[in-house]
Amino acid sequence: MDPLGRLRSVGDRLAPPAEALAQRVAERVADLVVSALDVNALLDRVDVDAVLDRIDVDRLLDRVDVDCLLARVDLDPILARVDLDELLAQTDLGAVVARSSGGVASNALDVVRSQTVGLDEFIARWVGRLRRRPYTGPPGPPGPPDEPRAVARS
Amino acid sequence: MTARTGRATAAGARAGAPAAAQESLQGHYAGFASRFAAYVVDAGASTVVFMLILAAISFAVSVVTGQSINWNRNDTWASIAYLAWLFIYFAYSWAASGKTFGMALLGVRVVRSDGADAGARRAVVRTLALPLSFLVFGLGFVGILLGRRRRALHDVIAGTVVIYSWDARAARLRFLSRAS
Repeated sequence: MDPLGRLRSVGDRLAPPAEALAQRVAERVADLVVSALDVNALLDRVDVDAVLDRIDVDRLLDRVDVDCLLARVDLDPILARVDLDELLAQTDLGAVVARSSGGVASNALDVVRSQTVGLDEFIARWVGRLRRRPYTGPPGPPGPPDEPRAVARS
Repeated sequence: MTARTGRATAAGARAGAPAAAQESLQGHYAGFASRFAAYVVDAGASTVVFMLILAAISFAVSVVTGQSINWNRNDTWASIAYLAWLFIYFAYSWAASGKTFGMALLGVRVVRSDGADAGARRAVVRTLALPLSFLVFGLGFVGILLGRRRRALHDVIAGTVVIYSWDARAARLRFLSRAS
């Protein structure tokens, strides 16, 4: 019999248990190392600001080809999976419209009030100028409007 | 706080930003433009509502009796009804919430001189004294421009002041949240 062949067959037989042993040893060592490590202490030693300072985000983003990325996205199968009828049935369009128009009305009201307050200040400044008295802002307040019998400050 | 607000507002005005955007003016005495705009809105709204009421009465009478009523501007009863309606409109609004429809739109409110709610008695006195401010070319309103507490004649008589009830700072935050 070929001595080399016998040696090879012995090696083949010994390889699986040796690999299993090596795997177990490696796992055990890893467990020991991880349990011995204080991750919080390690993280405390890491200067995140310094790390972030070294990252050139602009350069990183320059290397990302967004067009190429989007070209690889096939939207048709994604859209085909969206059941628009079901989506519309679940959407309270009335509430969406009401919220949107309510926001517009509220925004318009804020603008009108802002402008009127600005006009108040403009008139008050001019009156102060005519009276040769410096205008230092709107006078008041008399007290919290919701607190009964609040003491007047002025 | 007043001085700080004043400085902030003055700085904001110098910077070209709306004063209201700099800091809340809630509780400060309301200025001439806000009060005048609120009054114009109220005058329009109350007149429109009164005309709608007259139209409804005319319609009801024509349905019931078959006769139509022609309201005339010189009609004494129509004038008395209009004045009564104006009294109810202003007095009830000020007594109930301290603000009329126009004041609510412009974000101003009537309160007692010490900041408490105006109450029914002051609301009635203020409403009755309001025409006095219009006498002699509206001299009663000069106090809003010149007075330290921006009070018109009817405010002085009723012991009330008009303040901003609108939180400009919250409005600014709302605006920013919508913009983002």
